[in-house]
Amino acid sequence: MVEKYEQKWPIPESVHEVENYWKQRVGLGISFDLNIRKLKILKKDVHLYTVSGLCDTRFCIKLIEELVELNDHEKISTDLYKLVYNRLINQSVMPVQTLDQMVDMVLSGLIGVVMEGESQALIIDVRNYPGRSPQEPDTEKVVRGSRDGFVENIIMNTALTRRRIRDDRLRFELMKVGKRSKTDVALGYIEDIADPDLLNILRKEIKGIKTDGIPMADKTVEEFILKQGWNPFPLVRYTERADIAAAHILEGHVIIYVDTSPSVIITPTTYFHHIQHAEEYRESPAMGTFVRWIRYLGILTSIFLLPLWLLFVLEPSLLPEKLSFIGPNNQTNIPIVVQIFLADFGIEFLRLAAIHTPTPLSPAMGLIAAVLIGQIAISVGLFVPEVILYVAVAGIGTFTTPSYELSVANKIARLGLAILVAIFHTPGFVVGVTLFFIFLVHVRSLNTPYFWPFLPFNPKGFLHIVLRRAVPGSMLRPEIVHPRNRYRQPPDSQE
Amino acid sequence: MVNETIEKEIKFPKAMSTPMTVFWIGLFGGVFWTIIGYFAYLFSFTELRPNIILEPWALGDWKRDWLGTAISIIIIGLFSVGAAFVYYGMLKKLKGIWPGFIYGIVIFLLVFIVLNPLFPSMDPFLKLDRDTLVTSACLYIVYGVFIGYSISYESQNQKVQDKEPVS
Repeated sequence: MVEKYEQKWPIPESVHEVENYWKQRVGLGISFDLNIRKLKILKKDVHLYTVSGLCDTRFCIKLIEELVELNDHEKISTDLYKLVYNRLINQSVMPVQTLDQMVDMVLSGLIGVVMEGESQALIIDVRNYPGRSPQEPDTEKVVRGSRDGFVENIIMNTALTRRRIRDDRLRFELMKVGKRSKTDVALGYIEDIADPDLLNILRKEIKGIKTDGIPMADKTVEEFILKQGWNPFPLVRYTERADIAAAHILEGHVIIYVDTSPSVIITPTTYFHHIQHAEEYRESPAMGTFVRWIRYLGILTSIFLLPLWLLFVLEPSLLPEKLSFIGPNNQTNIPIVVQIFLADFGIEFLRLAAIHTPTPLSPAMGLIAAVLIGQIAISVGLFVPEVILYVAVAGIGTFTTPSYELSVANKIARLGLAILVAIFHTPGFVVGVTLFFIFLVHVRSLNTPYFWPFLPFNPKGFLHIVLRRAVPGSMLRPEIVHPRNRYRQPPDSQE
Repeated sequence: MVNETIEKEIKFPKAMSTPMTVFWIGLFGGVFWTIIGYFAYLFSFTELRPNIILEPWALGDWKRDWLGTAISIIIIGLFSVGAAFVYYGMLKKLKGIWPGFIYGIVIFLLVFIVLNPLFPSMDPFLKLDRDTLVTSACLYIVYGVFIGYSISYESQNQKVQDKEPVS
């Protein structure tokens, strides 16, 4: 079967054979969205193949008009192929030799024109995919900054990047993934900056993807490239913001664009890429640093606050005297650890429900969940108030994490630590945190240490993580991407 | 005029040299993990506070309060620079995090068994309570991983860069 699909048929000279091929192989006449328009131009058959919905009707009509007018102005004896080629008024007209290629192209929304007595088909690009126009992504909002996010169309996405980087060395390498879906995947990078080794790895991995289709687009590509297994931590960062993608390309990262997805993959990524936000670079360095520290605090809270509090409840003797008020005052009916899990699962319910609750219903849902359940759970004696407090603070900490994927992974880490604390108390917490830390350190994503620049420690890189540095002073590209050209601002630009 | 002086001051930055990086790895590693250790002491995960480093010397009372703590943290940081250079000198070729892991355990055993008599307030190894031992061991392990992994990564990077043609 597979072999048969690989066969390349040349385009037959008879247009009826082409039509038969389309009927048998592609389902012309069965699938309602495949169209064939038969014309007689200068007494010869000319057939146009289109897919409705993917071609712009206005352009199709214009093209047909031009072709039909040939009948009025031209002599019959002239070379039909050259005439037609000349009269297809579009900037992108391409001859193809095999039926396979033609079918592929027509199915991706181009027009295929076959002519009687010609063993070449002409392909005209009049694609107009259904889709939205760029708008601000829901997941990465900023107060100031551009609001054109990526959309589901790879052409639009690369155009949004090209708008920001006009460098002649910017490259978009296109590949096709998926035996049946034939989805476009593009690598975006700047040629004299990006690490050639990384590019080779990515090319090899993407070409090595053997699957029928990738309807889940970039996520599936990520799974094929990174082979993550059960590690919950995100090994690449996604972004839907065109400015973030452009910033990373300039730093020397390689961006993977996948058609049909409004997010792109940034490689290579470390843990610290997940906890920075575009907002920080839209504020003054001091303000950006402040915001960043608060955010780090939130992220640390989302991981450690709950297990630590649980530990203090279980072992009140650990607390310094001044903090000894911490811990539930009255006796409870349910063990605290069970309460923590119930409450945290409650927040998880809320989050999951909020994803697909219709917008008109969500305020009502929030009210029920937050006010009623929380309040009533305390008054019937299910929860101590402190549990609600700490679970809520940890929950808010989760929401301050800019990367959605990371926030979910941190939640798993938090619950894992809570279990260890519940079983082993102090040693459980200490050993658990150590193992968690060593686990993160030992993860490598595309040959990049996950916890860089904290570990392996890189003084300059770490300073960039701790402080949001002013852009004019940041002359070096981050070492982690192994840039071929290290300098963002060469010395001569200072003169 | 103002611009000119600024231009002269701006030196073109270069990547840090390896010994300099090792120095910073050692200093930062020592200071950072000692601060974490101090927090562990505050929350009674361990009975040992950083000030223990000052005990072999007869000093004023300040060695027990915050000034002592701050000075201890810096002193431990300096010791840590030494530890980093020892690792750089002997083990930089080993890859991955496990050599650092073992290095941490070795330092832990060195401090807690061999150097133990130097610190009067530290109980003999076998009499230390469980939490103190576990916490200290974990701290030394993450410290060892920090030093070891950072240095091996740095020296490997340096090797790759040396091979590259200067661009």
